[in-house]
Amino acid sequence: MRDNTLKYLLVLPAVVVVFATAIWPLIEAARLSFTVGRLNRPGSLEQYLGWENYTWAFLEEPAFWNSVWVTAVYTILTVGLTTIMALGLALLLAPGGRLRSSAQTLLILPFAMSPALIGVSFRFMFNPEFGLFDAFFGVLIPPLADVSWLADPNLAFAVVVMADVWGWIPFLTLVLIGGLASVPRDTVEAAQVDGASGWRVFRDITLPQLGPVLAVVIILKSIFSLKTFDQVFMLTNGGPGTATQTLSHYIYFNGMKYGQIGYSAAVAWLMVIPMIFLTYAYAKFVFRKN
Amino acid sequence: MAEIKLNNLTKRWGDFVGVDDQSLHIKDREFLVLLGPSGCGKTTTMRMIAGLEDPTAGEIWIGDRMVNDDLPKDRDVAMVFQNYGLYPHMTIFENIAYPLRVRGVDKSEVKPRVEKAAEQVELTQFLDRKPKALSGGQRQRVALARAIVRTPKVFLMDEPLSNLDAKLRVTMRAELKHLSRELQITTVYVTHDQIEAMTLADRVAVMKHGVIQQLGTPDEIYNDPANLFVAGFIGSPAMNLINGSVRNGMFVTTGGTQLVKLDAADRAKAILGVRADDMQVHDAGQGDIDVTIYAFENTGESTLLTVQWGKQRVIARGDRHLRKDQDEVVGISLDPDHLYLFDPETEDRIRI
Repeated sequence: MRDNTLKYLLVLPAVVVVFATAIWPLIEAARLSFTVGRLNRPGSLEQYLGWENYTWAFLEEPAFWNSVWVTAVYTILTVGLTTIMALGLALLLAPGGRLRSSAQTLLILPFAMSPALIGVSFRFMFNPEFGLFDAFFGVLIPPLADVSWLADPNLAFAVVVMADVWGWIPFLTLVLIGGLASVPRDTVEAAQVDGASGWRVFRDITLPQLGPVLAVVIILKSIFSLKTFDQVFMLTNGGPGTATQTLSHYIYFNGMKYGQIGYSAAVAWLMVIPMIFLTYAYAKFVFRKN
Repeated sequence: MAEIKLNNLTKRWGDFVGVDDQSLHIKDREFLVLLGPSGCGKTTTMRMIAGLEDPTAGEIWIGDRMVNDDLPKDRDVAMVFQNYGLYPHMTIFENIAYPLRVRGVDKSEVKPRVEKAAEQVELTQFLDRKPKALSGGQRQRVALARAIVRTPKVFLMDEPLSNLDAKLRVTMRAELKHLSRELQITTVYVTHDQIEAMTLADRVAVMKHGVIQQLGTPDEIYNDPANLFVAGFIGSPAMNLINGSVRNGMFVTTGGTQLVKLDAADRAKAILGVRADDMQVHDAGQGDIDVTIYAFENTGESTLLTVQWGKQRVIARGDRHLRKDQDEVVGISLDPDHLYLFDPETEDRIRI
């Protein structure tokens, strides 16, 4: 066998797997998004509808815009909070930081939990009867003593954000610790001697050199925040009302619950667009040449 | 401009002693070199002066201020790092300007000062580039310019030439010397290279195991070593150290019968030190003793003869026109004024 043939033969299984699990579903979803696509209506999966599913989402469905809004706010909040807190922790935990490696091990634990499990455990912790956090916040902030966290739209949203931030901090912290370790110590010390305060060393020297890693962290977290589903599903199921209904959850709801496969495929494709941009940016930063 | 005083300075990490209760007084405008092998505590001493390392005990004074509790930024020192420590995301101009910017120097003043510093190290045409685009020697100059752009009380240089190739190192050494004479700022310079120490220093402190072995001018260190370590560390080739004993005013090598006149009291064990340059090479029978050549090396500017002396080998330097060959016999005589005797137990110098 020629080396060339063997080369393609060896990558073939991977290509087949990617095609079957990613490319084909994408194409099929694109096709479905232009059909009537009702699960309870035989033949509708082949019934061509044009752009109507898309125009419906954009023009006549406030629930779609609600979930866009929820997803946007959710993404901005979780990306922002997680990145800032992870950066803070990374600065404390990095070699030469103020905490040591035993703490590092301990901190990775939340990331070992599945998002669904995080959702369940947070639901318990905010249970008005026996929830730990519910009691905790009630004592710390008396006005919050009697609120039912998951029943209030804003508080439920806050809980979902909290659960996500909590679950993601460890991993991003580890990535940032790695990034900090690659900032040459010489440059930090040179700046200290040059007369920079701790804050200026961070702002002028550490942060710019951490830039590429930070970009990867932000993009990666944005991708995961945009497609959040499991925590929302376990914690609030999109409620109360549609207060915590993210796009993924909205797609699931329309497709699986209402059987509107064509419509949810269209919304799913709308979600693909920002994802493609983010993925492209991510690949650019990860595979960048020096 | 300021003097530096280290009082009983100690640095320990657990059981490991980096610097052991050392006191050192560096005079105003002095160029002091801390010299020693790696791990001797020289860099640690410098880093404690800079404030990058906290001393375990002892005091550090810069000028009339005890700086133990001051942050590096408040000590008014400038430092040149072994790997230069340039800021890779800034241009050369911004690199050099950084110490001025963080210290709030007036913006209109920054540009002329950066340009002047760049001129002093001959960097003016590179100011718009990033450090990555520069060669090792040029990066070294940037680090220097960043140090001299403001007038600090003290310069600290941590093996600044060790990453340069041999030829560039010689050029930069001369430039450093020129610059330091021009600037007249107290300088502490760390190196393991004894030639750098000899050529640059007003005074040298030779360190080993966290202890200063000898403090003196390059002349003193070279011509009057305090102990076996200093004698062996300074000079290229290193001083010949010959084991033997002193009997009836003669030095007798171990296992050999060769004798050298030595005006010292009898002792069972002694080490004789003699530099290659203090041995004269003659034809066979014309020196104090006859020896066989083990290896003959011609370095161009002189010749080096490794000769078998009893059971030991010593190196003598010959005239650059001398031509000999392996296994030939030559006569060797020692300069009686430049013989050193050491106690092999304490490694201290025995004065003769």
